[in-house]
Amino acid sequence: MIAGDLFHRQPLLRELKEVDYLLGSLSRTQVVLAAGNHDYIKKNSYYRTFVWSSNVHMILSSEISCIELEELDTAVYGLSYYEKEKSEPLYEKIRLRDNCRYRILLAHGGDEKHLPFRKGAVESAGFDYVALGHIHKPQELIQNRMVYAGALEPIDKNDTGRHGLVKGSLNESGCKAEFVPAASREYIHMEIEVSENMAGYALRTLIEQEIQKCGVQNLYRITLKGFKDPEVQFDLYHMDTFGNIVGIVDDTIPAFDFLRLLAANRDNLMGKYIERFGDAEPDSVEYQALCEGVRALLETKRG
Amino acid sequence: MMRLLELDIKNFGKFHDRNIELYDGLHLVYGENESGKSTLHAFIKAMLFGLERKRGRGSANDTFSKYEPWDNENYYAGGLQFECGGKHFSLQRNFDKYSKKASLTCMTDGEQMSVENGDLDMLLDGLSLPSYENTLYIGQLHAPASQELASELKNYAASYYVAGDSEINLAAAIDNLLAKKKAVDREIKKALLEKQKKRESIEQEASYVWRDIHHIDDKIETIKRELELREMKDEEGAQEDELENEWVKKRFTDALRPAKWRIHPFEIIGILAVIVLAFVLLPNPWNSFVTVVVALLGAIYIWNRVKIGKRSGGIGAEEILEELIPEEELVSTNKLIWEREHLTQERKEKQIEYDNLQEQLQEQDELGDEYQKMDRERDALQLAVKQLEDTSSDMQKQLTGLLNQKASEIIEVITSGKYKRLVADVNLHMSLVGEGRLVAMEQVSQGTLEQIYFALRMAVAEILYHEEYPVILDDTFAFYDDARLKETLKWLAGSGRQVILLSCQKREEEIMKRNGIHYAKTVL
Repeated sequence: MIAGDLFHRQPLLRELKEVDYLLGSLSRTQVVLAAGNHDYIKKNSYYRTFVWSSNVHMILSSEISCIELEELDTAVYGLSYYEKEKSEPLYEKIRLRDNCRYRILLAHGGDEKHLPFRKGAVESAGFDYVALGHIHKPQELIQNRMVYAGALEPIDKNDTGRHGLVKGSLNESGCKAEFVPAASREYIHMEIEVSENMAGYALRTLIEQEIQKCGVQNLYRITLKGFKDPEVQFDLYHMDTFGNIVGIVDDTIPAFDFLRLLAANRDNLMGKYIERFGDAEPDSVEYQALCEGVRALLETKRG
Repeated sequence: MMRLLELDIKNFGKFHDRNIELYDGLHLVYGENESGKSTLHAFIKAMLFGLERKRGRGSANDTFSKYEPWDNENYYAGGLQFECGGKHFSLQRNFDKYSKKASLTCMTDGEQMSVENGDLDMLLDGLSLPSYENTLYIGQLHAPASQELASELKNYAASYYVAGDSEINLAAAIDNLLAKKKAVDREIKKALLEKQKKRESIEQEASYVWRDIHHIDDKIETIKRELELREMKDEEGAQEDELENEWVKKRFTDALRPAKWRIHPFEIIGILAVIVLAFVLLPNPWNSFVTVVVALLGAIYIWNRVKIGKRSGGIGAEEILEELIPEEELVSTNKLIWEREHLTQERKEKQIEYDNLQEQLQEQDELGDEYQKMDRERDALQLAVKQLEDTSSDMQKQLTGLLNQKASEIIEVITSGKYKRLVADVNLHMSLVGEGRLVAMEQVSQGTLEQIYFALRMAVAEILYHEEYPVILDDTFAFYDDARLKETLKWLAGSGRQVILLSCQKREEEIMKRNGIHYAKTVL
């Protein structure tokens, strides 16, 4: 079941040939697929004319239609996108019209602009399993019954977590669906807690260790948290030991002891400056300005 | 209120085992030149703020080396008894490199305190060595010319007016922030440039695909034309019989002309014949004229025929086809049709590729986290500069008033009312107001400048520090005349502070005696 967006953009003919060759080489497998909002069927789309291998079935209709796989005694319902967005709740209005034993809905979307549906409304339609696509993160809406398989591999740096496919079995006793990790790497958003006595090299070593713990094959987006020594400036360009850091953001807060600074400078510019920011939240621009100003005043102090 | 009670100089510079008790109010420390007044002051500073050794080359002339004991170098130490907040403290320090340490004990309740953990800093209420030197210790203005003296005084005042502290360098801090902002701006620009580069490379790729599309279009068009031509020819072949009539309709000369000749030989012979005939048959004055005209017409006709021949021999559809499929002179129509289909497929493929690239371009416009982070930092720096300036200007408004008022009071006392006020304008230009005149600071004598300096320092000390610290005056009054010195000493005695007066002259003592000012005295 390929629930849409097999391609991120319009597929080229040579790409379809590639994929058809691969799918066609599956000897004991029937493949059903539909177009999603990314590879939607444009006027000149090759989906319209492409002739798939005999075991590959594409649902081309823009309305809910049904493909019956006789040898499996299974009917697969679904539709293909003909535009980027479609906000009617088409999946909620399905009437069954087949004579098969098992019924699967192959659905793409679920958010506001892409065929929204309430899971209850779809559940009551009588499908044995609803194979969902569109959302990249794998998730179960109803255990063993309605599952987003997610992308096979993460496709951008915010696409974190495990990726893979859903392996399901459907028989008289019902449907069982389990997630099978298949991606060769994942994006990990990692928070590194910096401490006040940590300088650049120590930080680099810490990041190195943390990455080794979570797997060198993965890709990392790192956020530095916590308090750092106000006099230390991290060189963020030289933290990438393994070449697998896609971004690194320094959200640390300089560990100024504002209370002490204020007590010692109550009546001078620094004290008044600190007072001026009152109790700015540590993650606000104001707080950052406070830190920058105090840093500048301290760095340029005479004597 | 803080008072120094007793200096216990164990081994420091020229002194060893020297004990000096200090009293409330004015305490005169008299000593001739080189008797150790500066050493005494250095000792007080070292006790209160420690004595750090400079590193490297600077260590040769630093304070540490200067007062390293003359004998027994490894014993470099002292003690200080003082009173603060109503309690009595004892501070002991060892300065030498091997046994360096400091201990502080509260004698009133016997509590052992820790200098390392900031207990002494707390007692001093944040007073640092530089601000101490800039307020509570008053030496002479060290500047050779009075012009520079004025500017030094102005600098001094400026740092207090705009920052409330001589250590804070507002202009440098703002420069620092602006420099950092500039660096962030550069980063942002770099990021945008990189993005732009990426964009351009996609655009370039798209433009290549676009060119391919047009190239394919041209080829398709050529094949289309050739196929139409052939279709027409086929129709012509089928209707060959009917064509007979059309042959008749065609020009006589065209029909007769052999295929490979551009101009038929008969045409040339005919033209020549007409020329000869015209010359022979026509009467004399006309014949040469007509002959020339006919010859010209003939020449134009031949020229035209030759040109037409050249043109049709040029770039025909066939020739483009030959380029496309060079091996065969005549390509089969089926092959052309197949070629056209193939090209149409290729075109569609390219078109989709092109559209996908355009879609990718549209998605390029989103900006990443790193960019937002930098943007935010830029905003923060901008805000910091603005707030710093605002804070300072608020302070200046407030402080200028306070400082002016306080310093004016002191100046008025010292000068026995000659000058009533000290005023600083927005540009921190200072003037004195007295006897109905405004006197610019640059115009007064060195003595008066020293007095302004003194007044400002005392005003700062009073306004900016909550704690009343002892004041140390180090040969401050050399340029004061007797009348002003008398008023100054009177003012000091009445200020309630502990005042330590280091002097190498007997003037101060005489004046105090003569005017009944109470004082204590130590001779070095």
